[in-house]
Amino acid sequence: MTAAVQFSAVEPGTVPPGAAAPRRGNAALLWHQVRYEQLSFWRNPQSAFFTFLFPVVIIAIFGALFGGSRSSFFDGLTPLQYYVPTIAAVSVLGACYSQLAIVLSIRRQNGILKRVRATPLPAWTYFLGLLAHCIVVSAVDVALITGVGRLYGVPLPTHWLAIAVTLVLGAASFCALGVAVASLISNAEAAPAVVQLVLFPLVFISGTYLPINSGLLSQIAGVLPVRPFNQALIGPFGLHTGLDWKNLGVLLAWGAVGAIVAVRRFRWDPRSQ
Amino acid sequence: MRAQVAAAAPSPVQAPARPAAVAVTGLRKSYDGVAAVRGVSFRVAAGEIFALLGPNGAGKTSILEILEGFRGRDGGEVDVLGLDPADRSGGRALRERIGLVLQDIAVEPYLTVRETVARNAGYYPAPRDVGEVIGLVGLAGTERQKVRSLSGGQKRRLDLALGLVGNPELLFLDEPTTGFDPSARRDAWEVVRGLRAAGITVLLTTHYMEEAQELADRVAVLSGGQIVAEGTPATIGGRDTARTRIRFARPAGHALADLPLAAELTQDDLVTVETAEPARALHQLTGWALSRGVPLDRLTVDRPSLEDVYLRLTGPDTAGSGAERSAR
Repeated sequence: MTAAVQFSAVEPGTVPPGAAAPRRGNAALLWHQVRYEQLSFWRNPQSAFFTFLFPVVIIAIFGALFGGSRSSFFDGLTPLQYYVPTIAAVSVLGACYSQLAIVLSIRRQNGILKRVRATPLPAWTYFLGLLAHCIVVSAVDVALITGVGRLYGVPLPTHWLAIAVTLVLGAASFCALGVAVASLISNAEAAPAVVQLVLFPLVFISGTYLPINSGLLSQIAGVLPVRPFNQALIGPFGLHTGLDWKNLGVLLAWGAVGAIVAVRRFRWDPRSQ
Repeated sequence: MRAQVAAAAPSPVQAPARPAAVAVTGLRKSYDGVAAVRGVSFRVAAGEIFALLGPNGAGKTSILEILEGFRGRDGGEVDVLGLDPADRSGGRALRERIGLVLQDIAVEPYLTVRETVARNAGYYPAPRDVGEVIGLVGLAGTERQKVRSLSGGQKRRLDLALGLVGNPELLFLDEPTTGFDPSARRDAWEVVRGLRAAGITVLLTTHYMEEAQELADRVAVLSGGQIVAEGTPATIGGRDTARTRIRFARPAGHALADLPLAAELTQDDLVTVETAEPARALHQLTGWALSRGVPLDRLTVDRPSLEDVYLRLTGPDTAGSGAERSAR
């Protein structure tokens, strides 16, 4: 029975001539999608400023505030050596987690998601397009932050591959968490508040703005998603170490949780029914 | 005898001989135990414009969303272009061949008109030309404008463009002209008629009688989750066989019983005469009026409008007869 249904669904004879034109390749469709996500993002002054410029401004201010001497307070690094990776992490959080949670809530509420669902665009292409878009924004942001750090005398990192892999895995995990939060929020007006309510304390206990010298707090933050990401970036950025699989493992576990929630709870339709 | 039967059978409107673009049989859907769609069956022939009419809550949008694949169904058979919209594996193939214009305006604010249409065009294997579609819906000249700067009516047109850009065989229009001014509505009707001329099947919902009258080849009236009447706009609900209605202001100084015909007084103080023989009735009435110097102010002669039929079919006492209604 099931086999027969599946067979008739893929049988070429059931598709009339109107649909005979070949589909776009997956890569072309993904590129198409990323291109328009980029256009929407950069044209929106709110996202361009708060998501993109905010971390660059922060690192520029920190560079002016702090001197260049190594300190045990900053794990034996100079302040900027410490802040370049943690603020880079902030930019990924903003571009992936915050942006997706807010943008998807808004798009669902005003019916844009339902409209996307009405087109032949496969759902996985839509989400992969969003992920690729978020990675592009994150990468540009991290490059700018690294550049500002260089102006303040922070040596450029040598483990580029480790940084790239960490960024992509971090971006994917925080994108999954962003989609998960968007799936759990039903009201777009509440989205920015919920996003910040979760992120703000998390960022503070994770040593993003001030290094954490409390063992207990480090242990708590160490099993939450932000601190492992910070640590995984501080390694290749400041300490010239490679991939930090232990911390990346924690981060990916959170990404998996986010992905499971997203797959189970994501809705395209603004109404709950 | 045989020849007569054969000639009567393939009436192009009553029994579509063309293949069905949409076939629905015994469709049922409940929300939390409350039945919203209660055994609905209808067919939309390829190339026709079919309108679902009904008040809010009649089940129009539920039916449309089941056909569009947004909602599952609790029972019944649904066939859309040979595919079952509830079958996820065929979803992409179906969506490549249908176009949707939903009720709410939903477009990305920061893209331009051309970018918005071009983005959706990229989702389809054989889209229409982007510029042509923009022109078709009357947005030529706005290509480089940001969507957020468009008026509400222009955004609705953009929505229509997004429904058309994939070059669909079947277009779903959910209240397509809500919020249009009268001239924009007429323009939109022209676009829809043009689609029929191009062979596209259109299934629309509306609560504008005028729209159904102007556009639809066939109409189904929904009430309480069931189809209470189906037919052409001219014949639905017995419009073609309904009795002619003569109405005029109550003549001063005359009782209803003085009139030469059986008449009723309706609530707006009009005398209403219903008759199967309008020429005879008018002759009697005007002869009576002339001999008594009664002017018969506000005289009208008509048959029930589509709106009259609709209101009767969807009214709170749908089961009640016409006589009961006019007696009140």
